[in-house]
Amino acid sequence: MTDGLKDLRSETDAEVVDTVAVEEALRRRRRVRNVGGLVILLAVLLLPLFRSIGAYNYVLQVGVSVFMWIALSSSWNILGGYTGYISLGHNVFYGVGAYFSALLLIHFGISPFLSAALAGVVALCLGLIAGLVTFRTHGPSFIISTIALLFIVLLWFDSWALTGGANGLSLPVPPFPREWFRMPFYYAMLGCAVFALFLGHRVQHSKFGLALRAIGADQVKAEVAGINTRLFKMLAFALSAFIPGVVGAIFAYSISYVRPTVFFLIAVGAQMVLMAIIGGRGTVAGPAIGAAFVILLNEMSLTYLGATELNLVFSGALLIVVLLFFPGGIVGSLRERGKLPAILDWD
Amino acid sequence: MNTVIQVLILGILLGGVYALMSSGLTILFGVMRVVNIAHAAVIILAAYFTFFIWQWTGLDPLLISLIAIPTFFLFGATLYVTLFPRLEGSPRFAEMTVLLTFGLAFVLEGLMAYFFTGIFRQTQPAYLTEAFRFGPFYVPAAQLYALLASLVLLIALWAFLNFTHTGYGIRATMQNRTAAQIVGVDVRRASLISFGVGIGLAGAAGALFSFVFPFFPARHWQWIAILLSLIVAGGLGSLKGAVIASVVLAIVSAYVSQYLGPVWAPMVFYAALFLILIVRPQGLYGKVRRI
Repeated sequence: MTDGLKDLRSETDAEVVDTVAVEEALRRRRRVRNVGGLVILLAVLLLPLFRSIGAYNYVLQVGVSVFMWIALSSSWNILGGYTGYISLGHNVFYGVGAYFSALLLIHFGISPFLSAALAGVVALCLGLIAGLVTFRTHGPSFIISTIALLFIVLLWFDSWALTGGANGLSLPVPPFPREWFRMPFYYAMLGCAVFALFLGHRVQHSKFGLALRAIGADQVKAEVAGINTRLFKMLAFALSAFIPGVVGAIFAYSISYVRPTVFFLIAVGAQMVLMAIIGGRGTVAGPAIGAAFVILLNEMSLTYLGATELNLVFSGALLIVVLLFFPGGIVGSLRERGKLPAILDWD
Repeated sequence: MNTVIQVLILGILLGGVYALMSSGLTILFGVMRVVNIAHAAVIILAAYFTFFIWQWTGLDPLLISLIAIPTFFLFGATLYVTLFPRLEGSPRFAEMTVLLTFGLAFVLEGLMAYFFTGIFRQTQPAYLTEAFRFGPFYVPAAQLYALLASLVLLIALWAFLNFTHTGYGIRATMQNRTAAQIVGVDVRRASLISFGVGIGLAGAAGALFSFVFPFFPARHWQWIAILLSLIVAGGLGSLKGAVIASVVLAIVSAYVSQYLGPVWAPMVFYAALFLILIVRPQGLYGKVRRI
């Protein structure tokens, strides 16, 4: 699989730049990646059709969870990964989307599958408004203002009669046949995850993404180079708020209730950050790999250790270790060492 | 009218404790550009430290704070040595410290929840239920003692920073790290000591916290959100700003708690942060940094 890469490295080691060989190697690498990606996508697409596999519902449930977190951490990555503006309260948008669609379902009977996109737009608008204030600062003050935003929303939803206060709201159970109950959610979340990754890829390979990375590298120089940093940061914030709104709407429907402690806990936002950093922020594949890694780890530790407190210790320690020793995350560190397998190179 | 003055008294009393809690956080940022998200977790840890010593020995929490300071000074110095030298020189140091201490906060919370469970705790010294009466007003003894202890510690901190050789070095490092290094300040030693002092202050604050507020491990998130709002509102790294913001906002939140309900009291701090960011992005006493 890495033959192409080895060729490529040995060529450059000898400082003989044979462009034909390099291009051939790159093409082979891309082909490996595309075929591998297609196989994985096909397997993931067909999985819900095999009802005979053991623990069918559990497998689908884990799938829904993995796709949801891929979508969430990828959208966090658009702002946090490229511009370096770290939002620790990004679950605000996730929760607001969830509540918005839940209210539409309860009061007007509109299915969240239909209103999810609208929930995303609501989250996006909220992101623009939040950006207006929070982008007056940068660095640590920005991070702190996102935490404050989360706590404002938490306090507000905790005591707002319309949203049922701290008890939240119960939603009507989705009208799906029991044996296929999880399938619509599985495909919807898969769609969100693919869309988020597509968006990430588009951002990576556009002038917009280039501007964001310039801001991340040095804001003043970016400004001098003629980039409207404020506009681009606002756009990035709005874009990265959109998908959490959509995902929140669908997730709320799948669990049939909304409650502040499910959506507005700081641990939820922390999870997005943790996944993106473990996987490798500022890359397309990083947040996805981080999400899959963390969810599987969580499932395993819940099965074998049980205690959720230790889970917290573990997550925190993992974050510390990655930051200190592998600041590039899984993808960044592997790429630095030239060992990134083609299948994980989505940039 | 009596209620208005009574609430003012209670607000001032709490303001002192808030000021002590946020002063440690400010020192950490001012000297080392470390935003310590785990600060409230350390305060709660110190509150447990105080709680268990109080339970075993019956010592007064105010006295235990004198044990807590050196203990947490050492804890802070150890944290500094193990966590931060690797980050030094990284291009986004302040942001990295946020993420690092965010992880640390989860580790501390998880450990406390595992070992001490999630039950509400509070140390209950004899004076917890006592109060001094001045005409129509009363002053709760516990909160008065906490305010006095906070004042003593803040004055000691001020004196340490202003009248000792080490203090000069720390203040120089706060003003300009590179320039301080040029004139011969051992910046690394100043950082180590001020990290110890910052965490030591959290230790002292935790001892007072243990009888002023009931606590359990997950409580620290609410507190860190309040403390961070305070230091940003006051101007990151400004000790004076943090103390003034603490006292003023504690008073405002006491009124909000009285007239709108205690649920809304924390909202004062977050809302103030946003209002101040709109009017004055660098905070009350913050310096405009040339990037």
